[in-house]
Amino acid sequence: MAVASPGQPALQEVQPTAIKRAWTGYRLTEGLTPYLLIAPLLILIAVFIYWPLIYSAYLSFYDWNFVRPDKTYVGWDNFTRLPDDPRFTRALRGTLIYTVTLVPLQVFLPLGLALLLWPIRKSRAQTRYRIMLFSPTIIAYSVAAVMWLWIFNPLQGILNKVLAEFGAERINWLSDRSTAIWAIIIVATWKTLGFHMLLYLAALESVPKDYIEAASLDGATHWQIMRSIRFPLITPTFFFVLVTTVISVNDDVFGAINVLTDGGPFDSTTNVIYYLYQQGFQFFQIGAASAVAVLMFAATSLLTWVQFRFVERHVHYG
Amino acid sequence: MASASNLAASDHHRNPQRGNRMLIHAVVVVLCAFTIFPFLWMLSTSFKPADEVFTRDLRLVPHAPTWRNFPDAFALFPVAHWFWNSFGIASITTAGKLLISVPAAFAFARLKFRGDKILFAMVLATMIVPGIVTVVPNYILVSNLNWMNTWAGVIVPSLPATAFFVFLLRQNVMMLPQDLIDAARIDGASTFKVLIQIVVPNIKPAIAVVVILSFLGMWNQYLWPLLILNDFESKTLATGMQFFTANVESAQMWGPMMATATIATLPPLILYALAQRQIIDTFVTSGIKG
Repeated sequence: MAVASPGQPALQEVQPTAIKRAWTGYRLTEGLTPYLLIAPLLILIAVFIYWPLIYSAYLSFYDWNFVRPDKTYVGWDNFTRLPDDPRFTRALRGTLIYTVTLVPLQVFLPLGLALLLWPIRKSRAQTRYRIMLFSPTIIAYSVAAVMWLWIFNPLQGILNKVLAEFGAERINWLSDRSTAIWAIIIVATWKTLGFHMLLYLAALESVPKDYIEAASLDGATHWQIMRSIRFPLITPTFFFVLVTTVISVNDDVFGAINVLTDGGPFDSTTNVIYYLYQQGFQFFQIGAASAVAVLMFAATSLLTWVQFRFVERHVHYG
Repeated sequence: MASASNLAASDHHRNPQRGNRMLIHAVVVVLCAFTIFPFLWMLSTSFKPADEVFTRDLRLVPHAPTWRNFPDAFALFPVAHWFWNSFGIASITTAGKLLISVPAAFAFARLKFRGDKILFAMVLATMIVPGIVTVVPNYILVSNLNWMNTWAGVIVPSLPATAFFVFLLRQNVMMLPQDLIDAARIDGASTFKVLIQIVVPNIKPAIAVVVILSFLGMWNQYLWPLLILNDFESKTLATGMQFFTANVESAQMWGPMMATATIATLPPLILYALAQRQIIDTFVTSGIKG
């Protein structure tokens, strides 16, 4: 239904596409109202997301510590000094380890789980499984970390007690340089298993039933249907999970790192995000922290762009 | 009739064998044990008297269960304050997110206006900005506004992180039948009236999911309140837990610590158990697939 709109220029009314749209009644038109409806959201986004991005870029060229009244301009120093900082190199190493281990664990393990749960979707047990598998996802990372702190405790923790039953020696899970990062990877895997599984299950469920029925009338087996119908149709979800996981893994482990190890021992569990946090709020190096923020934003944007280009070319949208 | 029996036969045909199903159950049960064990161990520890916490054997059910750890936790740290802060911040932020994202979702789904595509893209683009990138400037802003240690300091900068909800709600508004809106327009309803009387009541399930996910997200929020809330009593449960671990003496207090963790875990678990079917349905119908 087209509604006369004083706010819209007359030109738009005679454009054939505009008329067609108005007649199919897909959208309504009404002067300023749309802008009033989106204004609160856009203002908040501008003030607390886009402005900080610009301000971070500005701060990255200065030397400042939060407290001093004046900032010193240092040009590109905050960027060029990063490779010389051993703590930054260790943070890069951690970022690489977290990404390489956690992306497969968070993308494929839940997919396998969803495919396992799919054939038994009608049994009552499946609902119970789903609730149990999903429960780590819905609690705070810091609370999850506290639960695991108790499990990993070297003297009284249950993990070492169980290992001792098998005659193993005591392991200082969180204070040993070689095990600490694995402890955090275990917690992170445990934490996200359920959410991605749920997304995959939802995708499997939204595959149109007539495709499946048509195929099974033609005599296709369960696994044939899975391979040639269900799986191609859930690839968009697969890539959604992949893209969001690559971007969020290093962000997600923050709470676990903060509670379990504070980046240690010897920076073995730190990553770029934890480095930024420590530079900004433990050492008050605002310029250096902002330089890392700028680089992170650039890397994330690039990664997203590459992935979406790839997805556009290779993914079936059902 | 013939087609029905055909379907039944094929249904039987495409299901995996009985043995396969037993194997599936076995594998899934093992994984469930992995996900659920830390919860059980937390719960078990929170009801153990101090002398049972450190026993050599692996006791899941305490011999002499006790409530003591809960009052002990409240006496050690201002856990009641933390609970109230978590609850208040999560509720107000959720209400605020709804107030800004429902009208925007409606405008982006149903109204035609100059710049609608680019503005919507700007909203969606915020999803790829890592939260940590905006932390330093927002910290400076909040401290200039004198909002340190206040709910406002946590809530207001958290409001715009709602692009996913706008997307979800917009999908649901787009699926409403056009006749519904046309009928109201013919009766002379204004855009605001259409929004409040027609759109909102018809997307209630999606709104419910946004309420739950937003509440959970804020209840669990960590880095931002960690920076803004420094006073002992202004902490939330998620950030207050660190006092148990930071303090060497209380780090030995595993009972009260697990009791506090239990308190922090209960509201999200209950909320999820009540609404899990709804959450899946909304994911299915709004086609969350990139």
